[in-house]
Amino acid sequence: MHEAAITAALLEQVRSFLPERGRLIEVHIEVGEMEHLDPVVMETLFAVSTEDTRMAGAVLTIYPVPLSVCCENCMENWMPEDPALLVCPQCGVARPKIIEGSGVLLRSLEVEESDGG
Amino acid sequence: MAEIPVVAKVLKLNDELAAMNRLALADAGVRCVNLMGAPGCGKTALLEATLSALAGKLMVGVVAGDIATTRDAERLIAHTPHVTQINTGGSCHLEAHQVRQGMDHLPLTDLDLLIIENVGNLICPVSFDLGEGARVAMFSVTEGHDKPAKHPSVVLAADLVILGKIDLKPYVPFDESIFRAYLANMRDNLAVLPLSATSGEGLSAWISWLTDFGAGSSGFRVNLSI
Repeated sequence: MHEAAITAALLEQVRSFLPERGRLIEVHIEVGEMEHLDPVVMETLFAVSTEDTRMAGAVLTIYPVPLSVCCENCMENWMPEDPALLVCPQCGVARPKIIEGSGVLLRSLEVEESDGG
Repeated sequence: MAEIPVVAKVLKLNDELAAMNRLALADAGVRCVNLMGAPGCGKTALLEATLSALAGKLMVGVVAGDIATTRDAERLIAHTPHVTQINTGGSCHLEAHQVRQGMDHLPLTDLDLLIIENVGNLICPVSFDLGEGARVAMFSVTEGHDKPAKHPSVVLAADLVILGKIDLKPYVPFDESIFRAYLANMRDNLAVLPLSATSGEGLSAWISWLTDFGAGSSGFRVNLSI
């Protein structure tokens, strides 16, 4: 259940980028497959944590990023169907380096500028 | 409506704090191991045996992470005075700022090696860099030989795998060759150390690995890729 810690870190980051008079409409994040984060839990935590704030009602849009690896032996890049089967299809050696599919990235925010009234 | 592009890692703050831990440890000449494993895999028992074996050879400190209680620290304090317990209060992993709090309670300049006993979990701790120099993933024979295949993230993040409780092998349906094959499907050059903290079998290889690592002959993990 590291969704709570990741969502808390995300909210902190969103807050730091949100203009003073802006109302948050949508947040776009990329979530790597290897993070094993449940998107429904993330969306729920996001909705509950933003209640009664300028971020209330904002939509959290999650883009899953599948695992993509590079073979350290022959430098072949490929996308494994099963993250537990990482033998290189080119050279048969299992020495993968993760290129994509780990970590959580805050991509962008959509904000409605208020008229200051 | 305006779009504000950001493109930043959500755990950027944790990563920065981890980098600060790494610098503070390097400044003090302390090597740091992050021990990760499921609840009940035998992390604390291994540390008890480890501290006992390293007494007089390396000065070892421990930051023990748990959701609650000081039970692990109470067990370990019999072997070294340099133990700090971190209670995460429900969180299933340690974060860099918590390790820093633990480090602040230890005499870093007197230590050769700092072992972080992460909260028992094979998923969540993997996402959080703590400033360690090496990550050790611990499994045990009682968990079944397919555990690595169910937890590829920790296998990909590990610098070393420990297979614990091998004294119990005769009593459980565990096939070490299948366990090793699952690991080799992901990393065919990942070292595996089978051992038993209870019988002492295999412990010397782990102590040698730690001694080499603590003395600085193993590579420092400078930048975690995940």
